Formats: sequence, C-alpha cells, structure tokens
Amino acid sequence: MRALFDFIARQYHWMMLIVLEGLSLMLLFQFNHYQGSVWLTNANSVVGYLMEQEQRMLNYLSLTDVNAELSHRNMLLEHNIKVLTAELNRLTHDSTFTERKVASQLAGVELIPAKVVNNSVRLHDNYITINRGSVDGVQPEMGVVSGTGVVGIVYMTSDHYSIVLPLLNSKSRLSSRLRGSNYFGYLRWDGRNPLSTILDDIPHHARCKVGDVVETSGYSSVFPSGIFIGRVSRIENSEDGMGYQLHVRLGIDFANLQDVSVIATRGHGEQQELEEQAH
Amino acid sequence: MLTTFLQRLLLMTALLAVQMLVLNHIHVMGFATPLLIVYFLLLFPLGTSRWSIMLWGFVCGLLADMATLTPGVGAGAMTLVAFVQPVLLMAMRPKEAAEDMQASFHTMGFAAYVRYCSILTFIFCFAYFLLQSFSFFHIVHLAISFGSSWLLTLVICIAVEAMRPVNSRKTEN
Repeated sequence: MRALFDFIARQYHWMMLIVLEGLSLMLLFQFNHYQGSVWLTNANSVVGYLMEQEQRMLNYLSLTDVNAELSHRNMLLEHNIKVLTAELNRLTHDSTFTERKVASQLAGVELIPAKVVNNSVRLHDNYITINRGSVDGVQPEMGVVSGTGVVGIVYMTSDHYSIVLPLLNSKSRLSSRLRGSNYFGYLRWDGRNPLSTILDDIPHHARCKVGDVVETSGYSSVFPSGIFIGRVSRIENSEDGMGYQLHVRLGIDFANLQDVSVIATRGHGEQQELEEQAH
Repeated sequence: MLTTFLQRLLLMTALLAVQMLVLNHIHVMGFATPLLIVYFLLLFPLGTSRWSIMLWGFVCGLLADMATLTPGVGAGAMTLVAFVQPVLLMAMRPKEAAEDMQASFHTMGFAAYVRYCSILTFIFCFAYFLLQSFSFFHIVHLAISFGSSWLLTLVICIAVEAMRPVNSRKTEN
C-alpha cells in the first residue's frame, strides 16, 4: 500500500494529466454537440464491437454443450443408418440357391423371425440369444434356422428372449443325412473349428464323396427333412472302424449370424409325449 | 510567492483579453487563427512544480474556451502543453542556465528559443484543432487550419517575446 502511495506521489504529474485531460474531454463531450455526437457514435461502435466479441467468446465456450448434443445426434443418426441399411439389404438381397432351397423346404411351416442379440463361437459350449421368447410363441425344443441352413435348437425361453443351443455346442446332436440317400447319422461338434462339424455313423457301404450335401433327416419333429446343413469336406474312418466320419463344412457362418427364424412346430410336444410313452 | 501568483494572474488576464477581444476575430484566409494564450505557458521558469503549471494551463484554457463556447478544447490542449513544457525547457536549457531560468531570447538564444516555441506551439495547435474538429474527415481543411494557425501563432509569440521589456525578464527571473 505504501509502495502504491509512493508510486502515485512520484508519478503525480501523470495522474494529474489524466485527470485534467479527462475533465477537458468530459466538458468537450458534454457541451459541444458535434464532438458529443461523434464520441457517442464511436463509443457505440466500440461498445457494439466489444459486445460482439463477448458474444463470440460465449458462443465458443458453449461449444462443449453443442458438441455433446451433436455427438448424441450423430449417434442416433448412425444407428438409424445401420437399421435402414440392414433393412435395405434384407429387401434387396439376391437369394442364393441354398436360401431358395431352404425357403422352399420351410414353405408352409410357421416361422417366427428373430434377431440374434448375443452370440459366441470361441467357446466349447456356445449359446445364442435371440430376441423372441415365450410371449412370441417360442418354446424349448423348437428348431432355429437361417437363410443358409440350420442354426440349432431352442434350449430355454423367457418371456421375450430365448437361448438357442447351436450346432457349435458339444451337447448338440442333430439327426442328419446325405442328400440323395437315406443314410443318416448324428451331427456333433468337436469344439475346434467353428466352420466345421462332424457327421458320425455313416456306414461304409453308403456312397459318399467330398462335396455331398448334408441336410436334416426329418426323423425328429424339430426340423422338417431336407433343410441344408453343409457339405462334406473330408471323409475319414470312424474310430470304431464301423463307418465313416464325415467332416461337414457348415453353410452358416456362426460368427456373422444376425437374422434367424424359429420353426414353430405344431404338435411336436404330442410326438415327444408319444415317444416317451413308447419307451 | 504571492507576487508571482498575481503577476501570472495579471499576465493570464491580459493574454486572455487580447485573445478574446482581438485574436479570436482574426481568420486569415478563413483558416488561420492566432492562439496567443499558449504564450502564457512558455513563460513558466525552470523549477516550477508541474502540477502548478498544469493547473494554470487548464484554467487558462478553460477561460479561453468560455469566449469561444467550446469548453474542453482549449483546456485539453493547454494541459497537454503544460505537461510537456517543463520537460522540454529542461532538455533545451543552456549549460550554464540558472536553476530558475525562464525561456527567452536572452537566456536561451534566438535559435533555441524559436525551436522551443515552435515545438510547444505545434503541440498546442495540433491538439487544439484536433479536439475542435474531432475527426480526420476533412483532413485537408484540418491540416491547412492547423498549419497556418501554428505559423501565425509562432510568429506572434516570437513577436511578443521580442517586444517584452528586458527588465520584465529580469524581474521574473
């Protein structure tokens, strides 16, 4: 404080100049219309400029909120694009022979379309979750297919979701046959390659070659017969030497599975009940 | 102290009277107006306190403004000259100058006095006409008014200085 007073005392003539010139200018603007109006106009311009700069600064500071809002909006739009692109792909998709064949096999069967909401292919026992449940008519033991073949069987259901036991699960056993012959066996997964499964119990005298189509046998009530599963990729002898062990390259890429349909089989409970009584 | 004050008051009144009654009515070619009141500040000797010079300048300018009905123009210009005068006089003083030297032909020499007078009248006229026009819109008119008035003021100040009695210089010194 003392230093401030000392400073003022040393520089008093500057202070005095400022005060007296300020007083002169005040008188000038107060009592001279022309100078007053020039001052007022310029002062208005300066104030206007300062206010504009202040507004620009405030706008800049509010960019964080604007950015957050835009990001949110962008996210919504991205989501919309994704949904619409998927819908467009579905509507304009050129179906393959397999898809047409599967569709013809399933003609007349009631299908419940569903979306895959959770999926895995890396585990030994993989499961798929779909967004349809008991409310939609899905029940355990119903078959699940996609456009390119068999996916698996419904394992459990809740009101709005179901868990599917896919072919890529060690518990999966699917009755399958070679197309063009009635020799059938059981399809299982060895837990190794998610693109390939193994068809056991095909007898030696059954004629088969690499590239033959493997399809559902229709012996269970879960799947109608003739639905595409995959193609034979390698033929080996089974461990007990009684037949062939066929490696089947699956028609479905489980790692890229999105749309599936549940086969709403009528009366399969009745068939199961009858079979249980017989046993 | 009181004598000095009264002398200054008398000088200021005389200069103001001449300025108001005579010089304010002179407009050579419609541009040049002599502004003799600045001569009042030229006479303050070395060692005068700066606040005192500035106050004298401000009051003198303000009184001159009363006659021209332009309050603030003369006051602002005179205050500025009063602020510069002690510094300039100190800078331009001869080596053997007395501590309370007053600017004059006798104490500074003709050339130095003319330089001193030119600078201060230049500052005064520039500030005066700038405050009066308060814009550079008619810059040619402003430049002619300022230039011609400055020269006229300078000539009159030098003339008055030349006519000032030598004994008056001595007494004031």
